[in-house]
Amino acid sequence: MLIPHPLLGLRDAQEFTYLGDAALLNRPDGLTAPEAFNDYVYLRDNPAGVHRELWFHEQGDRSWLIVTRNTLTHDILGVELARDVALGAKGAK
Amino acid sequence: MPEAAVQPLLALTALGGATPRKAVHGVLTLEENPGLALASLALRRGTSRPTPFGIPLPDAGGWTGRDGVSIFWTAPDQWLVAAEARADSDFAATVAAEAPGCSVTEQTDGFAAFEITASTGEAPILSLMAKLVNLDPRRYGPGTATRTGLEHMSVFVIRPAPGRLSVLGMRSAAGSLWHALETAVARIAP
Repeated sequence: MLIPHPLLGLRDAQEFTYLGDAALLNRPDGLTAPEAFNDYVYLRDNPAGVHRELWFHEQGDRSWLIVTRNTLTHDILGVELARDVALGAKGAK
Repeated sequence: MPEAAVQPLLALTALGGATPRKAVHGVLTLEENPGLALASLALRRGTSRPTPFGIPLPDAGGWTGRDGVSIFWTAPDQWLVAAEARADSDFAATVAAEAPGCSVTEQTDGFAAFEITASTGEAPILSLMAKLVNLDPRRYGPGTATRTGLEHMSVFVIRPAPGRLSVLGMRSAAGSLWHALETAVARIAP
């Protein structure tokens, strides 16, 4: 599988390590919202189909990517730098 | 008290030799480069891009070099600055002076550098790259540098010129990297 890195172009998936659901970026405050934090830590969606995932370019430029991928077909529908997404979400607040 | 015997203190190369190792196979030459000085350069938030040694910092995947000093991109807002035959100097201090306001870290002793040159142009280098690393050799042409895996080791693959390929790897794995490179060079060389 080749992952189209936003900065470096197509790179082999072997260079990356997989973390999981990109919802991990939105961490609730564990002190003020313990219920939400429990769900954040223990509950994960495992969709058969389109999924937003965090991938780390470990043997590369060490950037975190958000890869939108269809888990049934392995089609990659979009790739963004996680940094841009996180900073964008911060700016929107 | 008798005077202590003065031992000859010799700097050894990454492969442990007193002189850099060299292997010639057909049109390809593989050589250890013990003189390469390295320093990493990172921008801090809100600082403007410096031009150390008069070299503009290259964009993602890029390499620029001039007069024995080269700079290549390693990550967003991060670069490695390399200089030939300056490994015995405090190169990080030189870079820090050239890049005010940036974070500069000494890297010379962390890496082992190997240079591969082809006497007949780019073709042998392209087939060597295809054998060694999982990158598209056409995309990583002259003026590019990238970090990737080579036999489970992390390396920087640099293309300073059509007939040249530089590989920087972990100094502690210099022997394994040399073995991987020399085996491939010997098999590719016509």
